Amino acid sequence: MRLLLLTCFFTLSLLWATNPTPQQANEDVETEFVDKTGEALFDPLEGYNRFMTDVNDHFYEYILRPTAQGYAYLVPESARKGLSNAFDNLFFPIRFVNNLLQFKWGNAFEETERFVLNSTMGILGFRDVAGEELHIYAHDEDFGQTLGAYGVGSGFHIVLPIFGPSNARDLVGLAGDYWLNPLTYIEARDANLVDNTAESVAITAFYMVNRTSLHVNEYDSLKKDAIELYPFLRDIYESRRNKLISE
Amino acid sequence: MIKKLLFGIGMMFVCTHSLFALQENDISSSMRSHIDLATSILRNTQLAKQERSGKIFAIFDSVFDYTLMAKLSIGAKQWDTLVPEKQREFTKLFEMRLKNSYMEKLDLYTDEKIVIKNLEKIKDTRIHLTTHLMKNGEVYEIIYKFYKTANANEWMIYDVDILGVSIIQTYRTQFAEILAKEPFERLLERLKEPEPTNTKAPQ
Repeated sequence: MRLLLLTCFFTLSLLWATNPTPQQANEDVETEFVDKTGEALFDPLEGYNRFMTDVNDHFYEYILRPTAQGYAYLVPESARKGLSNAFDNLFFPIRFVNNLLQFKWGNAFEETERFVLNSTMGILGFRDVAGEELHIYAHDEDFGQTLGAYGVGSGFHIVLPIFGPSNARDLVGLAGDYWLNPLTYIEARDANLVDNTAESVAITAFYMVNRTSLHVNEYDSLKKDAIELYPFLRDIYESRRNKLISE
Repeated sequence: MIKKLLFGIGMMFVCTHSLFALQENDISSSMRSHIDLATSILRNTQLAKQERSGKIFAIFDSVFDYTLMAKLSIGAKQWDTLVPEKQREFTKLFEMRLKNSYMEKLDLYTDEKIVIKNLEKIKDTRIHLTTHLMKNGEVYEIIYKFYKTANANEWMIYDVDILGVSIIQTYRTQFAEILAKEPFERLLERLKEPEPTNTKAPQ
């Protein structure tokens, strides 16, 4: 009996000695996450950003979503999808140039193929022939991602009116994309699709309503996951951008 | 009689345990069958939403380490200041939160296809399983992050990356910000609220 007890005690103590405690493994996991709070987080515009997050949320809740839902009620989904395709087709210059700037030659070539096929056979891009029939898909790139690929850090976080979360780097990127965007009106640019700024604002607003009508549930369901909206959206935006840049 | 019963229960526990616990070699195949099973449950519209989610959680409960996820989300430093009873309460609320959020997503579920793309051993005790969810011709990347438990050679999920966004990291940042301004009890209350509330910006 004593021997048994002794063996038990022995094996137990051996077990304790050889088994790393779960605690250790967990602390190890902990290092994979960052603490972005207080001093460590550079968020000089926090007060304004929180305010603008609320404003945008209300804008979405009371203006954009109801408009998009009303519009969705009037226009069948297939037509809205077609319009969305046509808009995406128009944004070809942004994707093409930024793929080139990131030396993604293959992607730039595929973008060109898509633009040619969809503009012609897809009737001004309403049908995504290239994607549906030939499985050539779009390669979304913008100036913010190009700058990121060149090693430019994100800088401070800023929430833009209506457009939502952004940061210093992507704000600079937006200026570049603005120049390449066929929906904007720039006098200094040789070619303009629209005749003046008012038309440009109107068509951009229409683009936003059309896009929102196809994604209504997504923002709502995302928002439900938040406990505190501002840090939640900020984290998602920054992580997502980092991911897109690394690809 | 009682002994037999106890033995039976014990065996049942051992069996179900080993049935679901993941070994390194079968992470891919097990997750494949878990996902297939979950997908078929999702497609079964004859079941009520509650029933469907219940069945799905039964599959995944053994693979997710909710306690570790809760601990990581609040941070070890904060976790250690809590009495075990509060740790349990927080874990329970956090697990419910994750599940509710998942159930909300069920409503959006239509005809997505999920394929397992890649299994990568990051290091001895970490494995990342990359899956692609296909919806309307678009591909969404979801990465399940496994760690090797210290006492048994099992693998459990401690985080999920959706499109490059770590679920645990988003909670971690939010909890840290909330706890910087509000007491822990208030965080528990807010975990029970369905809609996000915003604390005022520091003046």
